[in-house]
Amino acid sequence: MKIDAEKCVGCGKCASYCTMRGSIMSFGRNPKNPAKIYALIDEKECVECCVCLRSGVCQQEALYQPELSWPRIVRKNFSDPLKIHPETRIPGRGTEEMKTNEVTGRFKRGFYGAALEMGRPGVGAWFRDVEKAAMALASLGVAFEENNPVTKLMTDRKTGQINPEVLEEKVLSAIIEFLIPQEKLSTLLEALKKIAKKIDTVFSGDIISRVEKDGSISYLKVFQEGSRFLSINGKSNVGLGRPKYRED
Amino acid sequence: MTHTLHRRGDRENLSGDYIVFTMSAKGFNEEGSAEKMKEFLKILLKYHPVNFGDMITGNCYVKSAEEIWHNINTTSIIHAVFTDEVTVSKILQELRARDLGLSVVVTGIHETTEECCQEAGLQKHTVEHSMGIFGDLNRLPEEAVLQLSTMCGHAMVPANLVLRMVREIKKEKKSFQDAALELTKPCHCGIYNPARAEKLLRQLVPLMTYDS
Repeated sequence: MKIDAEKCVGCGKCASYCTMRGSIMSFGRNPKNPAKIYALIDEKECVECCVCLRSGVCQQEALYQPELSWPRIVRKNFSDPLKIHPETRIPGRGTEEMKTNEVTGRFKRGFYGAALEMGRPGVGAWFRDVEKAAMALASLGVAFEENNPVTKLMTDRKTGQINPEVLEEKVLSAIIEFLIPQEKLSTLLEALKKIAKKIDTVFSGDIISRVEKDGSISYLKVFQEGSRFLSINGKSNVGLGRPKYRED
Repeated sequence: MTHTLHRRGDRENLSGDYIVFTMSAKGFNEEGSAEKMKEFLKILLKYHPVNFGDMITGNCYVKSAEEIWHNINTTSIIHAVFTDEVTVSKILQELRARDLGLSVVVTGIHETTEECCQEAGLQKHTVEHSMGIFGDLNRLPEEAVLQLSTMCGHAMVPANLVLRMVREIKKEKKSFQDAALELTKPCHCGIYNPARAEKLLRQLVPLMTYDS
């Protein structure tokens, strides 16, 4: 995102709509008229989410988005949910994951789905940190989700390495999705603590499971026994999709 | 995409926060799904959601209901937000009876949504929980602000906007209700809960100063 210095009157109202908490904004003085100030966006830190532009907060219409080219376009692809990813064909930065699982059979009994959403909530993440997390997960032998925008950026899915051209790009968030065998859950939970210490941002973690035939959720016990946090709220696919995936 | 997950709060304030939504499974039941999603939205609107929308078009506080309905296509994701479990139970019962063949997800307190499913004669197929936030937690805003900002899973509701709304309420430039709606608008999908936001603002505003 950029600000037209000629149009901007330096009111600073757009900072309220900055998902990077406005810390990426500063003020400059018009060289032709030093009495006139205008707002500046630190392009290195801007994630191209477009929230400021879409809000319509700028009465001067000074905000504008120039055409983005590779690799900067990655910022918009991951940060602006109005952008439909060519890989997933859905808007937003994620995938269908468990939302259509009764139809796709993506998450089967015996496995858990998990995801680390790097940069969430509202901090943002550099792809160099996304790579650190992906490489740590790869060392556990996880299976990265094929149809995921982060996986598509990996140059080696066995190591979790990401295309070096995007490592210095910052996004609002990027989701690493993967499958693990149920028996590896404790190992994963320990690995999350180590990843947390290596990165210069935050991530939100989630876990997905097929409900067992008796209605139970097998991972609850692991979290209870380890006194680990698990949200009281979350998502439930209620199984109304057709055709149903046939489990063996 | 976990846009309705990771909503932070306690049992009391999350008990008024439910989202029901649908999408097609690409390559499986995409064909003909637009008309089914239109019917899905019609059903949900009968139950007076506090917010609704489609990721393709926007939420009902920014776009008209007609525009949202008209623009629904096979890649849409249709959401509506409700504030009580009785309504969610009724919706699930009607969706089960209508049998549209599209996947339906309900987000809320798991114990409560389990009861809703049982009352509707449904068994949960797959579930998802948040494992929380990890990393440099010093970078996060206060928990009370997070409860308001995380209702948009795409992080389109900035923490700074929450703080600005607090200031504007304190200066009597905005009512609690108007401030809640202002926070609702940037959440494109229509999953932000303005009723819960108003309640949270009523708790938060007295605790903060102009400089917060």
